[in-house]
Amino acid sequence: MASDAAPKLLPTRFSRVSIALVIVVGILVPFVVSGDFWMTVLVSAGIFAMGAVGLNLLTGFTGQVSLGHAFFLGCGAYTAAYLGADQGWPLPLWLIASGVIGGVVGGIVGPFALRLKGNYLVVVTLGLVFIGIHIFENWDRVTGGRDGTSTSKAELSLGFTDFRSFSVPGKDFSELQGLYYLVWILAGLFVLVSANIVRSRPGRALQAIRDRDVAAEVVGISLPRYKIGAFVISSAMAAMAGAMLGVQQSFVTPGSWDIFLSIQYVAVIIVGGVGMVSGAVLGALLLSLLPEIVKKYSEQLPFLYEVKSDGGILSVAAFNEMLFGALLVVFLLFEPRGLAALWLRAKTRLRTTRPAP
Amino acid sequence: MSLLSVREISLSFGGVRAISDVTFDVESGELFAVIGPNGAGKTSIFNCLNGVYRPGGSIKLDGRELTGLTPSRIASLGIARTFQNLALFSNLDVISNLMLGRHHLMKTGFVAGALWAGRAKREEIVHRRRCEEIVELLDLTPYRRQPIGTLPYGIQKRIELGRALAMDPKVLLLDEPVAGMNLEETEGMARYILDIRDELGVAMILVEHDMHFVMDLADRLLVLEFGQVIAVGTPEQIANDPNVIRAYLGEAS
Amino acid sequence: MEKFLNLLVAGTALGSIYALVALGFVVVFKSTGTINFAHGGFVLLGAYLTYNYSVTWDLPFIVAMLMAMATMAILAVILERLVLRKLVGQPAFTVIMVTLGLLILIQQVQQSIWTDSDVLLDDPWGTDQWEIGGVVITQVRFFTVLFAAIVVLGFFLFFRFSAWGVAMRAAAIDQEAAMAQGISVARVFAISWAIAGVVAVVAGVMLGADSSSVNSTLSFTALRAFPAMILGGLDSPLGAIVGGVIIGVTEVMTTGYIEPNAEWLGQGFHSVMPYVVMVAILVVKPTGLFGTRAVERV
Repeated sequence: MASDAAPKLLPTRFSRVSIALVIVVGILVPFVVSGDFWMTVLVSAGIFAMGAVGLNLLTGFTGQVSLGHAFFLGCGAYTAAYLGADQGWPLPLWLIASGVIGGVVGGIVGPFALRLKGNYLVVVTLGLVFIGIHIFENWDRVTGGRDGTSTSKAELSLGFTDFRSFSVPGKDFSELQGLYYLVWILAGLFVLVSANIVRSRPGRALQAIRDRDVAAEVVGISLPRYKIGAFVISSAMAAMAGAMLGVQQSFVTPGSWDIFLSIQYVAVIIVGGVGMVSGAVLGALLLSLLPEIVKKYSEQLPFLYEVKSDGGILSVAAFNEMLFGALLVVFLLFEPRGLAALWLRAKTRLRTTRPAP
Repeated sequence: MSLLSVREISLSFGGVRAISDVTFDVESGELFAVIGPNGAGKTSIFNCLNGVYRPGGSIKLDGRELTGLTPSRIASLGIARTFQNLALFSNLDVISNLMLGRHHLMKTGFVAGALWAGRAKREEIVHRRRCEEIVELLDLTPYRRQPIGTLPYGIQKRIELGRALAMDPKVLLLDEPVAGMNLEETEGMARYILDIRDELGVAMILVEHDMHFVMDLADRLLVLEFGQVIAVGTPEQIANDPNVIRAYLGEAS
Repeated sequence: MEKFLNLLVAGTALGSIYALVALGFVVVFKSTGTINFAHGGFVLLGAYLTYNYSVTWDLPFIVAMLMAMATMAILAVILERLVLRKLVGQPAFTVIMVTLGLLILIQQVQQSIWTDSDVLLDDPWGTDQWEIGGVVITQVRFFTVLFAAIVVLGFFLFFRFSAWGVAMRAAAIDQEAAMAQGISVARVFAISWAIAGVVAVVAGVMLGADSSSVNSTLSFTALRAFPAMILGGLDSPLGAIVGGVIIGVTEVMTTGYIEPNAEWLGQGFHSVMPYVVMVAILVVKPTGLFGTRAVERV
């Protein structure tokens, strides 16, 4: 009986082939794209994906809405700066340390989610962001205070591979290209980890809590354990994403970890697909690529200007933010399950129009 | 010793007595029914048994005290229940809902699940097999991969029964399993309940409005009025009990 | 004692601004069950519209404010109609995120229309100050409290005695029963949004006066009113007022008494003090001082 098998991550040949294709294309990208512009965008997208995968576990699968993600990202970035750059820890250690610190902080915040739901949890996590910025601004010894701190000395090598400059026979990679590989390997790992959690016992428990928490308790699911667990994992992933973001920006300042960053992460999973693992990645790609594409082609759009003297009605930056706000509203109104749902629907349509074999 | 023994449990909401001094026993393999008019406290008794409410008195399962434990702990000790108004996980498919019933029998934690190595996978296979058996027992095979939010009400009732069964309970609490069902569906449900008792030997406590349904099915009944027990006994004893007749047919008779 | 009284005056002025902002949040929450983040944007737009009418168009200040109120009321109703109405019955998460999206849109629209980063309202209330026994009361603070009091009084009279106020209270208690009595819930929603828009103008102007210029960070400053709203209870207008004043006074007292004595808390600790208070409240008494609605919405 086929049903004896455990659920597969990629049940159909179509899905296996597409994933393989995505991976191959992902590996080849730096061979084809060398310009810093697109590489920067893709690195940002990878970092977005890392953090959003974690947020999706918390919000999409457990149903706990958090606007505190920026704070967890910040914790990771400062860990990278302090342990990686200042103390000179090697890459695996500072990266894991940032995850651990994020997880611990998440474990402290998580218990609030036991007493507070919906609106209230949103407000508390929002408060967390403001308190976080205050801490980042004032804990000078570690964070460099309002002036910020540099991450450029953080080591980025693993074994023989230094991601800041590595090469394969016939090809030397730039630092950005190295960073690209590093963040997307991590993003891939996060996707795998979260997909595995979702298809096994703990992930089912999270979804049960999301769908109906009272019933979840009655079938034997401990709410504290799983609600806090979701917070810990999600904030650990966020902190590691934050560590990479700190490294990418090479300088970390308190102002970066504001509520807007939190909103961006929630927007990524909404646009990509709440409660679908692939959603976080799709959303990350769309929301990082779109503004850059607008910027790139703004000259062709007469109503946009990059420098005010060029004429036009809107600055590119303002237009992009508006686009972002509008995407958020439009997706929630018309496609609340995001790009991943659009994709699923397109796929079924493809299948059904083709004659059955 | 009885499988489940309930001794003088009482419960009040803001000074209003919902249940007072309710005492009864359920033997293993027994089909025990709790009946009574609306608001008599039937569902409240269930909520006490599975730890959603915390009554005074004592509830023992296999000699082990249950009062004061959390619902999730009580579930893992062997009390499963269904709800009057469905409480399924509506975005998940049938198999996942049943697998959630087996949550307390499994061990995979976050780390093992994330790695999907060794035990996580083995455990998944073993328990899935058991869920498939239940799917077959309850004739749910055609629906097994569908998200259940979209399925008809009668089917969802059966899935909820399946989820409770998947918990391998010692005592199964069924809160109005045929509420809102037509005659055909009601008969179907009766058959499943009897199958469960005969094939699996699980003790069941049934709360129901439908008197015919209960009288045909139950081994023993408890009649509740205003939170108090007015009679306990076999269907014949209950049918002839003067207190029950008074409560059900009113003073006029 | 003199120091305490001075701080009390400053705190009350700040608190009445928070109270006004929180009132806008509460009015919408009470009738629709939504925390409307876009309200921060209303506060921002209200201040800029007043600036536009009074300074750019050179109209009398009061006229400018009334016109801004009218504009905001219409805008809020349009937004409710076009966007929020479509979300009735959706989970809290969806609605909140939509209002956040709107907040971002409003901010960008504001920055695209008024490109100067800081604008001044030209001190319509004068710059004088009075001194009573060592306690200094500036005209700004006096008018802040006065305006807030007028708005609050007007709101409560409306809420208590007007037909629509009664309808709003009925709908807040039980939407279906209210509908059965012939109350148009749609109209109630629209009116509560309009009220939020009107109150936001006064709050925006006062907030601009308090920080001595109107700029685009006002919308985030307005979010500082959340603690006030939580302290008072999400669905209690009276709670919003009391909570606002308590939070304002706490914040100023923190500047005066806690910060000088506890430097380890860091510079500007007063600005996060409201959140610290809020977290404490949520742990101890999640319904707030006057709130009724159960926190847990199962």
